[in-house]
Amino acid sequence: MTTMATPTQPQPTKPNAPAPVYNPKSESTAVKRIKSTIFHVVALALVAMVLYPAIWMISASFKPNSEIGGANNALWSNNFSFDNFVTAMDGIGGVSTLTFFTNSLILAVGAVVGTVLSASISAYAFARINFPGRGLFFGMMIATLLLPFHVVIIPQYIVFQQLGLVDTYVPLLIGKFLAADAFFVFLMVQFMRGLPAELDEAARIDGAGHVRIFGSIMLPLMKPALISTSIFSFIWSWNDFLGPLLYLNTPEKYPLPLALRLFVDQTQSSDYGAMIAMSVLALLPVLVFFLVFQRYIVEGVSTQGLKG
Amino acid sequence: MFDRRKFLTTVALGTASAAFLSACGQSSSAGQTGSAENPVTINYTWWGNDDRAERTRKAIALFESKNPDVKVNGNFTDFAGYWQKRATEAAGGGLPDVMQWDLSYLRDYGQRNQLLDLSTVKINTDAFDKSLLPSGQIRGKTYGIPTSTNAFAVYYDPAKLQSMGVAEPDGQWTYKEFNAFMLEVGQKGNGALYGGTDYTGVWWMYNIWLRQNNIQAFTDDGKLGFTKDDLKKWWNTTAELRGTPALVPEERVTQLAPKSAMGSNVTASEVTWDNFMAGYLGDSGAKELKLVPVPSDDPDNLGLFLKPSMLMVASAKTKYKDAAARFIDFMVNDPEVGQIFKTSRGVPASKTQRDGTTFEGTDKLVVDYEKSIEKYLKDAPEPPIVGFGTLEASFKRVSSELNYGKLTLDGAADAWFKEAEDLIKQNA
Repeated sequence: MTTMATPTQPQPTKPNAPAPVYNPKSESTAVKRIKSTIFHVVALALVAMVLYPAIWMISASFKPNSEIGGANNALWSNNFSFDNFVTAMDGIGGVSTLTFFTNSLILAVGAVVGTVLSASISAYAFARINFPGRGLFFGMMIATLLLPFHVVIIPQYIVFQQLGLVDTYVPLLIGKFLAADAFFVFLMVQFMRGLPAELDEAARIDGAGHVRIFGSIMLPLMKPALISTSIFSFIWSWNDFLGPLLYLNTPEKYPLPLALRLFVDQTQSSDYGAMIAMSVLALLPVLVFFLVFQRYIVEGVSTQGLKG
Repeated sequence: MFDRRKFLTTVALGTASAAFLSACGQSSSAGQTGSAENPVTINYTWWGNDDRAERTRKAIALFESKNPDVKVNGNFTDFAGYWQKRATEAAGGGLPDVMQWDLSYLRDYGQRNQLLDLSTVKINTDAFDKSLLPSGQIRGKTYGIPTSTNAFAVYYDPAKLQSMGVAEPDGQWTYKEFNAFMLEVGQKGNGALYGGTDYTGVWWMYNIWLRQNNIQAFTDDGKLGFTKDDLKKWWNTTAELRGTPALVPEERVTQLAPKSAMGSNVTASEVTWDNFMAGYLGDSGAKELKLVPVPSDDPDNLGLFLKPSMLMVASAKTKYKDAAARFIDFMVNDPEVGQIFKTSRGVPASKTQRDGTTFEGTDKLVVDYEKSIEKYLKDAPEPPIVGFGTLEASFKRVSSELNYGKLTLDGAADAWFKEAEDLIKQNA
């Protein structure tokens, strides 16, 4: 892993190098060492670049408001304090920050459960049951992927408004339970097509129906796909801003992304410190979720690569 | 199996029931009222930060204790999200009963009959300055009542001027003197501190300059009231300062966003609305900032005016007109509401509310400034044309391209005029 990473090979000559006695072995270790050094320097530089925004965010969360952004570039402030976290945890307009966390968690868990259940069942139908019009419906489902979200905002809003469901979580979750996320259905269909059909044929011979085949054969085999789906739908729901913005009216029902914005107000005064502190806190659950499931995500991706 | 006739019936049924449901939603007569035992609930929405949420909560509690037959349901978002949400609700017919409003969106929603004509309900406007009310009116209908006002001013940081040995301005100055002031600050600032930002890119400052020269920005039929030559003359006001330490370079301003150059302690002065005081103080951490009037070449005509910093409006479809009117009246006139908000919405527009509020510290600075310019004030501008926000933004953008040197003066004036005329034609 330590060799041959960068194509840059300017063959630097050592200033105190011994006389040019030809020694292939020693030269090659020297070259190797230089290459390895270059690789590590470049890799470290890249890591620093990728991590810098996160480090900036964490350092800024401990700085007073007037030292964040603008002309201040220093990562460290002498006015180190936890005040921003205190303000962030105080809540907004009488609603405690824990409420925002709870709401976000309800929405995210609801989204994961709904998506995993509905997408896997629909995928089973598309991949394993030969019903009339399957190709057409599959095509139509894929076509919804091409439909930009902004086109459906207003019609969707009118429907939920007339049904009296605005200011509830129903508009935000019902789609997840009805397999409206074509992306996940597609992902699972592709995964299922890769599973050998002999398995469910064998089950059928043993007398299993669709429910049994789906529950006992398919679901356990689909674990990697289910885990990828869970991770993505958790993160998407956790970060969703527009949906909650449009459908929720009571501050007590707001999830975190809406609350975050309330610390910054261009028309009045902005508390960047509190916003950043809350961003740091909001990042933690996603980070934990990812750390817990990350070995499955790698497993999931690698199994998906192996067809049949 | 799915046969076509069944499918069509389903669609037809679905459409019919949707139409039926929407009919139910709209079958309301004007002005339902409640009682103490059975109160009506109105929805009120505003934009702002947690500080405003806290203050509004107090105001609502006060209103409910005085009006036991009305309950107010409060809801708030940030400014950008606020307008996305309103646009969707307006399209879906579900605007909240009472809303905090911004002047630049008033004509848009008013013309599309989304807002209630407030002259048809009982709201007391006796305590308002007569020159201010027209800014909430479109074609003889009153769509918005101003809660508060703001005015344009030059901010400066007295501590920074003192440390450099620059004399504090007294606010009676010409453009030349203002430019000289910025140049002096910039030269003594030694690259660490600039004089100010290029004020010729600020639409409202241009508007004020036009007023100083007795030119109307927009004619009564919504066309541009000035010529390209006026615009070129204006952009030329700071021509000799560009590239000198008087003006903070455009790329620096971009780097500092979302903070302002003054909020980042990079400039010693800034031309903007007086109600930004609290934000500037918070961003910069400065102990004190002062306000003086804008420059003018005619000392008797400063071109200044009071603009509603925000308004109160009601939805045209509200079922509770009476309750909505009482809530608006309470929010704009009640002295105790003034005590709650102080100047965080701007200086209270209603005299009853203003006189009933005690101002201290920063609040007092802003109120005193507006008092000091009282004799120069002219009529407030009409609600801006539809698409004004775009126009204002493109004014800023074109002038910054001029600053970068990407456009010549003629090219910049042509570019902006073309955009403005297209926009006006589009929205006519």
